[in-house]
Amino acid sequence: MTSTTSAAVVSVGTRTVTRAEVEDFLYREAQLLDEWRLDEWFTMFEADGRMEVPTTDWAGWDATTAGYFVCDDYDLIRARVKRLKSRKAHAENPHSRTHRMVSNVILLEAGAETVWISANFLIHRYRDNGAYTYVGRYEHVLKVDDDGLRFRVRRAIPVMESMDPGARLSFIL
Amino acid sequence: MTQQTPVRPLGGVDGGALIDEDWEAYRFRVHRSAYRDPGVFRDEIAKIWGHTWLYLGHETEIPNAGDFKTRTLGGRPLIFCRDSDGEVKVFLNACTHRGTILCRHNEGNTKFFQCFYHAWAFSNSGDLAALPGDESYPDDPGFRESMRLRQVPRLQIHEGFVFIAFTPDVPDLLTHLGPAAHYMSLTAKIGPHGMQTLPGVQLYSVKGNWKLAVENAMDGYHFAPTHNTFVGYLRETGFAVTDDDQYAYDLGGGHGLLVLTGHNGRIGMVWEPRFGDEEKARTVAKRNEMIARLGPEPAAEIADASRILFVFPNLLLFDLEALTIRQLEPVAPDRTDVRAWQFVETGEPESVRALRIKTMVSFVGPGGLATPDDIEAYEAVQRGIVATADSADPAHDWSDMSRGMANEKQGNQGRSIDEGAMRSFWRHWADRVGAATAVAGDPPADPGAPGPSAALASGKE
Ligand code: FES
Ligand SMILES: [Fe+2]
Repeated sequence: MTSTTSAAVVSVGTRTVTRAEVEDFLYREAQLLDEWRLDEWFTMFEADGRMEVPTTDWAGWDATTAGYFVCDDYDLIRARVKRLKSRKAHAENPHSRTHRMVSNVILLEAGAETVWISANFLIHRYRDNGAYTYVGRYEHVLKVDDDGLRFRVRRAIPVMESMDPGARLSFIL
Repeated sequence: MTQQTPVRPLGGVDGGALIDEDWEAYRFRVHRSAYRDPGVFRDEIAKIWGHTWLYLGHETEIPNAGDFKTRTLGGRPLIFCRDSDGEVKVFLNACTHRGTILCRHNEGNTKFFQCFYHAWAFSNSGDLAALPGDESYPDDPGFRESMRLRQVPRLQIHEGFVFIAFTPDVPDLLTHLGPAAHYMSLTAKIGPHGMQTLPGVQLYSVKGNWKLAVENAMDGYHFAPTHNTFVGYLRETGFAVTDDDQYAYDLGGGHGLLVLTGHNGRIGMVWEPRFGDEEKARTVAKRNEMIARLGPEPAAEIADASRILFVFPNLLLFDLEALTIRQLEPVAPDRTDVRAWQFVETGEPESVRALRIKTMVSFVGPGGLATPDDIEAYEAVQRGIVATADSADPAHDWSDMSRGMANEKQGNQGRSIDEGAMRSFWRHWADRVGAATAVAGDPPADPGAPGPSAALASGKE
């Protein structure tokens, strides 16, 4: 494996990926999630994409060897979207208001058809007169297509020591 | 023949009872101050957490000599460790010199715990190993001895489940567990090479009283409405859940058990389509393995039904799609810390392990498709029950748990979709904290079977 780079451009297959393109992808995702446009958000995954949220004691374990908060395969992501759109998803009815900041985007490593990236996130969430802050890091594997990027693995790693009272992950982290 | 029989001196809020049970009117109510009142909370910490067996953790969390975890139980910081001789030890996590928190890491492996303040060092079996400038202390082996790390007064292990008590005057652990011990043993027998907890602990807090978490786990009544979206997901994946044939058992001592047959599939035990074809074949092989190892009846008892076991006051064992150990730690009347471990077969193939983890966390935990709605429910109760505090009509400040009492009175086995398991929990709770209980009318003659096997043995349905 190659070492961490902070290149602004990497080549993946026959094309190049810039940090700006990755940033646009992440900003668009943040906007879709903050606006609860979950169907559009779901199209950002490639078929067979996964979504993971490790626990707060995470030390690099993958979801075959350790408990997680979320380890959704593609079908489960679809089920999650369907659930969150339902009025019967009581934990998100009414919806949380969220406000996401994404920064510190780094192109970590390029593969034959993917790019690995990391970014920091800060999400403010408001619900039931409570305000909660989620701080963490994204470590994503993005499939690079001619027309854009898609999630192969979307991993949100919380850096909090535990989930605070009221801070359950009923929304998309 | 209704008679008002206060079985204990009244001593609840404003001198009234906290629990009101009436077998003529089929009414069971809990006064809502039981979830709100700081005085009740202090009593619980002192009389329950201070005076009974508490679930601390599983032995497999600290497999090697020198492994340790730090954890708070009943508000007291503890070190849960395996000493250099391989023995499980539990110390108060406070330096004997001036009380500093001794170990400030969540987990690790060490031979010595050293206090950073004045650098006293203790071995992992609790001896005071070094104290700088010890020439200024009395030249007396008794002094060092008196400065050993403080161990919890009682520690016993059942099937790897480590329990402690903060007072020596508790009964033997198996006496305390009663029939609950059997259901823990069933769980422990699932894997031919034993069972273990995994890292990746779900640590989260809930803005709700700890008893609401117990009620929620012992409450089949909420399943369909609260988990509507999860039930819908199961249907879409080709598995129909049902409320039929699901029972609640009072195991005594405040412990409770739900036995659920139509609830869901279970990895390695009861196949459902979302588990996939590979798992279908393995389920057959797994049953054969268990029959060969344990015999057909124990194998069936383990495999055929899901179970939710509550061990008073702080352990929940969810034997559902897969196994989760959940521990409750009350922090304040309106706040509970929760810790949850996935409990798996030691040495199982990676594909099975992955399926188990994926399936379980799709349901349980603050990021699952179901638990967030449970958390929403108990947080919503905590928010709602302040409405009736000091109400103009005091009769409004009660929560109703009477569902299924008429059925219970007729001596029928309590259903999981009734509230009998909650009632037995609350009766035991009242007993422990000395809360006043008003009882009217005659309770059923037979207080209920201690568990499904005993029910079968006595020919009772
Ligand atoms: S308080 Fe620990 S060495 Fe002094
Ligand atoms: Fe539930």
